[in-house]
Amino acid sequence: MFDLIKGLRTTAKYLFTKPVTISYPEVKRPVRERFRGRHELKRYADGKERCIGCSLCAAACPADAIYVEPAENDPQHPVGYGERYAVKYEINMIRCIYCGYCEDACPTNAIVLEHQYELSFYDRKSAVFTKEMLLVPADKGHGEPPPILQNLHRPPNPPAQIDL
Amino acid sequence: MPDITLTIDGVEVTVPQGTGVVEAAMEAGIEIPVFCHHPKLPPVGMCRMCLVEVGTPKMDPATKQPVLDENGKPVIAMMPRLQTACTTPVSNGMVVKANTAEVEFARKGVLEMLLTSHPLDCPVCIKGGECPLQNLTMGYGPAVTRFDYEDKVHFEKPIPLGPLIDLDRERCILCARCVRFEDEIAGDSVLGFANRGRAWMIQSKSNPPFNSKFSGNTVDICPVGALMNSEFRFAGRVWEVKPVPTICPHCPVGCNMTLDMRYRDIKRVQPRVNEWVNEIWICDRGRFGFHFVTSEKRLTKPMVRRGGELVETSWQEALEDIAQRLHDITARHGGNAVGGLAGGRLANEDLYLFQKLFRDLLQSPNVDSRNGTLDEPEHDDLAYAFGLGSGTDLGKLGKGTTVLVVGADPEEEAPVYLLRVRGIKRQGGELIVVNGRPTKLDASATRTVRYQYGYEAHFVLGLLSAVLAGGLENKQFVGSRTKNLDTLRAALQPFGVDRVAEQTGIAADVFQAIAQSVAGAENLVIVYGREAFAAGTPVLQALGNLALITGHVGKPGNGVLPIVRYNNSRGALDMGVRPGKGPGYTNIVTEGMTARQMIQAAGNGKLQALYVAGLDPVGANPQARAALEKVGLLIVQDLFLTPTAQLADYVLPAASFAERDGTYTNAERRVQRFRAGRNNLDESRPDWQIFAAVGRALAAMVTAPAMAVAAAAPAKQTGKRQVTAKPVVEAHPWNYRSTDDVNAEIVQQVAIYRGASYAKLKSSNGTWGRGGVDDPVFYDGTSYANTEGFGVQWPTLAEQQNVVFDLVFSQPAAPQRRDGELLLVAAPRLYDGGTLMENADRLSFWVAQPYVGIAREDAERLGVASGDRLRLSSAVGSLELFAKVDGLVGPGTLVVPDLAEIPLGQVQTGVLTPVRVEKVGG
Repeated sequence: MFDLIKGLRTTAKYLFTKPVTISYPEVKRPVRERFRGRHELKRYADGKERCIGCSLCAAACPADAIYVEPAENDPQHPVGYGERYAVKYEINMIRCIYCGYCEDACPTNAIVLEHQYELSFYDRKSAVFTKEMLLVPADKGHGEPPPILQNLHRPPNPPAQIDL
Repeated sequence: MPDITLTIDGVEVTVPQGTGVVEAAMEAGIEIPVFCHHPKLPPVGMCRMCLVEVGTPKMDPATKQPVLDENGKPVIAMMPRLQTACTTPVSNGMVVKANTAEVEFARKGVLEMLLTSHPLDCPVCIKGGECPLQNLTMGYGPAVTRFDYEDKVHFEKPIPLGPLIDLDRERCILCARCVRFEDEIAGDSVLGFANRGRAWMIQSKSNPPFNSKFSGNTVDICPVGALMNSEFRFAGRVWEVKPVPTICPHCPVGCNMTLDMRYRDIKRVQPRVNEWVNEIWICDRGRFGFHFVTSEKRLTKPMVRRGGELVETSWQEALEDIAQRLHDITARHGGNAVGGLAGGRLANEDLYLFQKLFRDLLQSPNVDSRNGTLDEPEHDDLAYAFGLGSGTDLGKLGKGTTVLVVGADPEEEAPVYLLRVRGIKRQGGELIVVNGRPTKLDASATRTVRYQYGYEAHFVLGLLSAVLAGGLENKQFVGSRTKNLDTLRAALQPFGVDRVAEQTGIAADVFQAIAQSVAGAENLVIVYGREAFAAGTPVLQALGNLALITGHVGKPGNGVLPIVRYNNSRGALDMGVRPGKGPGYTNIVTEGMTARQMIQAAGNGKLQALYVAGLDPVGANPQARAALEKVGLLIVQDLFLTPTAQLADYVLPAASFAERDGTYTNAERRVQRFRAGRNNLDESRPDWQIFAAVGRALAAMVTAPAMAVAAAAPAKQTGKRQVTAKPVVEAHPWNYRSTDDVNAEIVQQVAIYRGASYAKLKSSNGTWGRGGVDDPVFYDGTSYANTEGFGVQWPTLAEQQNVVFDLVFSQPAAPQRRDGELLLVAAPRLYDGGTLMENADRLSFWVAQPYVGIAREDAERLGVASGDRLRLSSAVGSLELFAKVDGLVGPGTLVVPDLAEIPLGQVQTGVLTPVRVEKVGG
């Protein structure tokens, strides 16, 4: 009898304190600024893709979760800056260990691990995120391309042909 | 050459005289970084990356002795400035300091300078990951630059330098490796520099641009990403591809290559280093000609003819039917009613099983590895007896070597041999080129001889006479190893030098000079190709005799090098896919039919079944169509639905070289292994598997009647039905599981292949890696390590010291040509537009338009100008082609490029076809 009251005392104590749990999914816990969640492929402010298809993220990936297939940019309708872009960009979210090495390796800050962490799948196939799923909307771009990519549109200097 | 001892960073090293300091340092295990220097090219000293401190012993001018210090050691006088290690040859007592502060400062300066105009777009550069500039900047360069980024030189991004190669001029560091390779190794002076200062750039000087068959190699040796393989530019990164060792399936050189696979796709083809075969080079056909593997025209499913149409069927059904029908035909008409043609495109394992299938199971002597066209020459037996002695390395031959090239166009037939032969010349050897028309090799020759077509044999016999008349023969060798010299001497009477000189129009002293050079040489290599083969047995016999009487057989660096037709034509002969000779050139009693006879027999109904694998008799000669239509059972096994396959009753899809294991034997008799890079295309299967499956089914049928007999006998005694499992005739079960099993049987059964087991091929020559040269500075991105071994060259007959050779003479036929007729010569073309160039879009740029080359004299006589349409008619048919009067053809001959597009078989009546020419259109 005494034991029961002793036990209920603890219950009673916590009955009136603020709970440490939150009622997920109605309430979501805010994450830290540097939290590493689901990846996003970023764009420049003008809507062009940042990714140049260099595959350095795939090379840096310790879990071999990234697959990149490059292609040549059509000069008339370029997808990004420079001669190359990723025509296929896939991340296998079950393979990924969210270490953020890809982010470190990226020379154009195209891939960023963002705060989305709700990643669960009914089958393995749906865990593979394609480029379309990873890309941010065209109006959500930011920043200017670095000088090396802007330089590409500078007229040749010195003139490519000198009449000898 | 005397050896030189020097000290590099305190390490004493002894190297041959003439070695550069860079190579000597590598020997000592010290790395001197370089950009422009390349071990395969002469040093030039353009990039200044290899600057080192160099000192030599101080000499006393009076005594000419080194000055000694108080410890008795020579005083070293350091040179006042840094020296380029690549251009500085070693000398005795030299002291090199390769890692001092001054040297490091200089390297940093050079790299900073190079990077001032380098765009640093490494993330998108296709060289990134195998780039010497990247590596050396990481290793030796400054971390920061003092130059303004905006001030970098800026050019338009990649421009095509040629149809296969793109150039990014921003990335170029102007080391001239590409220019020097084309000038010195390939002999195509097609690249050069243009402009000055910051506008200095590489340019193609030729029209069409970058007109070289070796252009892809410049990409490999480019130390930056300036020259790019235009197909690989956007294919992936270099670390993502997995190299699979393979052997080039295009020509008999057998270059070692890798298929760079990314998952199922071949992304590019790169050379593998093999100093015995291709060094580090491959030709553009090998590099860019792999696309046939992924062609949509490939056969994917077995097909059977039902109601006149080819319809898809299953393997099991097809194989069982084929075995049953072959069995029925041989049971009813005997083995002679079936025949088999398997070409030199197949691997040794396939060819061995093919001939075994016919000889053992079908009791048929009729196997051949030719198409049966009228211009096809006899099989080459010369290499078996007098081939280049085992252990020959063409790359090491030089001074004292004579190379006699007769009736061959290495550039078109086997391009890497052009580089090898040029290399011998460059190293001081003598190169004599004998041909009926100008070839690329002429430019490199020390002596060029032009014969008239039809007089090839006369020329070689004249040469023999000159050797014998001058007493130049190797008397000791002739005495001990040959017989019937007197018979030969007698037979050569009508071919005295003066007589032949008169016939051929070649001066008599040319014969004397060549005879001197051939007989006096330390090493003699006789290269002969398609046109010598075409000229027939008398020429080949005479060439063999020439090698024999001068004693240049049976030792390394000596012998004949026949440039056979296909990549594994040599293997086809080794494996006995030919009438009359079994595997290993053993004699077979029942002489079977040749390909030509088989097609003839098919035409008159004597041949009931024909099995064609990797050949296309109808495509090669449209006249064979009628004959093959009459064959009761025509089985065709190929990659593509060839004209022959369109007639077939069964079409079996074969796997390409990229999808299977096996060995090829190159023209130098080197057996080399290749590996599968990708899975079988759909239902296609490797050739050996198909032959083994047919063999398995047949073996069961051959055994079955015997079983029935055995079973019947005891049944009578006991009165019960009883089946004994043991057959009376113990047939080979044909249960090969892999090529290893086939190889094991070949090694056991074929004497000359005793040393060619897979284990030995892999560990061949005892050397692993890059053949001793394992230096990332030189070879980064240049050439993949060779982990598959260098192959095994099987020994020739002449290497057995007790074999005595008969000096056989065969009478050359005088060329038959009536007045007003011209001789039609088919000139081999590397880019022939055949099935193996299928799907290679960029390479198709180089496939020539069909034309007929005609001499100026004949053109004038006939009133023909370039661009006129000519009809060539022979005894059997006619052909219309556009004329080209280009001065590359001798009078009396017509040269037609051997392109897949030109149905030469329509007019050919033999190796040289006399044709009448008429103009049909302007």
